[in-house]
Amino acid sequence: MNRILLVDDEPDILRVLGISLRADGYAVLTASSGEEALSIFARETPELVITDIKMPGMNGIEVLREVKNISDETEVIIITGHGDIDSAIEALHYGASDFINKPVRDKQLTIALKRAQDKIHIKQQLREYTTTLEHKVEAATREIRRRSNFQGKLIRSSNDGIVATDEELRIVIYNPGAERIFGYPQQGVIHRMQIQELYTPEIVDLFVAGVTQEKGLKEFPWQETSIVSGNGENIPVRFSGSILHENDRKMGSVAFFQDLREIKRLEHELLKAERLAAVGQTVAGLAHGLKNILHGLKGGSYLVDLGLKKDDTAKLKSGWDMIKRNIGRTSELVLDLLTYSKEREPEFEDCFPNEIAADVADLLAEKAQESRVEIKKSLDPAISQVSMDPRIIHNALLNLMTNAIDACLFDEDTGQKWQVAIVTTLEDDNNIRFDVSDNGAGMSQEVRERLFTSFFSTKGHRGTGLGLMVTRKLVEEHGGRIDVISAPGKGTTFTIHLPFEAAGEKKTKSSV
Amino acid sequence: MGKKVLVVDDDPDVRLFNVTVLEEHGYTPLVATNGEEGRNLAKQEKPDLVILDVLMPRESGIRLYRELKTDKNLKHIPIIMLSGIAEKSFLRSQKVLAEFGDATVPEPEAYLEKPVEAEELAATIKKIIG
Repeated sequence: MNRILLVDDEPDILRVLGISLRADGYAVLTASSGEEALSIFARETPELVITDIKMPGMNGIEVLREVKNISDETEVIIITGHGDIDSAIEALHYGASDFINKPVRDKQLTIALKRAQDKIHIKQQLREYTTTLEHKVEAATREIRRRSNFQGKLIRSSNDGIVATDEELRIVIYNPGAERIFGYPQQGVIHRMQIQELYTPEIVDLFVAGVTQEKGLKEFPWQETSIVSGNGENIPVRFSGSILHENDRKMGSVAFFQDLREIKRLEHELLKAERLAAVGQTVAGLAHGLKNILHGLKGGSYLVDLGLKKDDTAKLKSGWDMIKRNIGRTSELVLDLLTYSKEREPEFEDCFPNEIAADVADLLAEKAQESRVEIKKSLDPAISQVSMDPRIIHNALLNLMTNAIDACLFDEDTGQKWQVAIVTTLEDDNNIRFDVSDNGAGMSQEVRERLFTSFFSTKGHRGTGLGLMVTRKLVEEHGGRIDVISAPGKGTTFTIHLPFEAAGEKKTKSSV
Repeated sequence: MGKKVLVVDDDPDVRLFNVTVLEEHGYTPLVATNGEEGRNLAKQEKPDLVILDVLMPRESGIRLYRELKTDKNLKHIPIIMLSGIAEKSFLRSQKVLAEFGDATVPEPEAYLEKPVEAEELAATIKKIIG
């Protein structure tokens, strides 16, 4: 229920109106002057003020202005003299909610009060609504801030490097993960760098095409690549990214980078460990080969002793030959073991791969002839001087061709005209292919599967089981690969693909 | 003419060594470079002793050994196994083969692991065939 402050200098009117308003259920305060009205108002702040306009001292307009000054919410109804339109307008101008003419009629008063009350009610609702709205906005703002904070923290604490750009490809997000990978401090990147300054040209091209071309890819799935860090280091990474859209509008791009240095290091370690383990197994498996060599050395010594004792030069010579042969076998075995167990970076230098292939063929000519095997060469004239590791080519071809000749020896079809072929082919601008094939014994699937993997030999006393392991290791260190096709009784073809650099470009190729 | 001893080994050095030891001690060596040759020679020549390698390409000494020991005409011929393979590995292989339903064959008369001294080889031969 509203309280009304009634102000009039005429006590009769105060009394009559007071009675009437109280009868309507209002709590009524009365003041007989403007000054008194203000002091009561200051104390009680009633919701409604009804004031006469003409009073000695402070008049109704002044009361209105003061009241509105104190509380804008208070509704003020002005009682004007009959026909005093100017005062009424002035009163409205100062924010009176209504005016009624003297003599005050009940009906008029009721209507004015009803309007004032409606206004109070609406204002109250409006106030409540505004307050609620403010609360809601505040809560929403808090929530947004919390979420953005959460996302910010998420991005900051992500182990992956996260880099986001606006639609101009200017970097706007660059988290500590990205800092660790790229090496540039955050303050030098955010809003300062374009992706062109951070990414490799291949990655830049993806994003530029994605942003500028209608048909450019918008999602780049995880792929392994490498980036160049601030201090020039080549860092292996996994990368994925996408072009960001909102409805049809491009917003920018985001890219994720995972540092693969540790993984690569571990892979490398693992490879090394595996190889050492293989060497361990190999040494155990080697026992047989070693015993054969020792037997040969002892046998040789026996023959030499015998030759000396009997002054038999023939025995002496055959004994000495036996010793020399077995010393040769020892050194081959030891060298193979060393090559296999040691890591070696290929050393690229200018060379002629065809010449190396021809040298190897010449080196084996005598052995081939003894074994009634014909060596055929087919060397691609398109291959000229290139930069490769000539020692790797030599070792690999020597081993494969020796194997090929042995395969002919093991062939049971003695009527066969045996051939070993070495073929070189320029595959493309970066790779040379070497094929070594024979029409000898061939291999069963079982043998083929065990070829490179373990200490395995089918050569009886002559095999150490190391040759192909060493060959494969060398080929892989050179960044190439080795394949084999074979059928029992038909023969075998080993194929090596080796990458090369243009001659004159001396460079060491990383093994990983 | 001394007693005939068949040497079966793919390693020419071993063959030369064995042959020399045999000749030095008055035996008559016969030489085969693989299992197949060895089987043919054993059938033809009926040697007094066979010195056999275990690991050979193409046809292993294990196969020839089992063939000789199960051939009624040849099983009386004593055999010396001479190999880089340890004796217990060889014996285990025989046991496994027997378990898989193959015939059980007697152990060789002697088993020598390479490298072997000339004197030891000669003494072993002498002990078996005199």
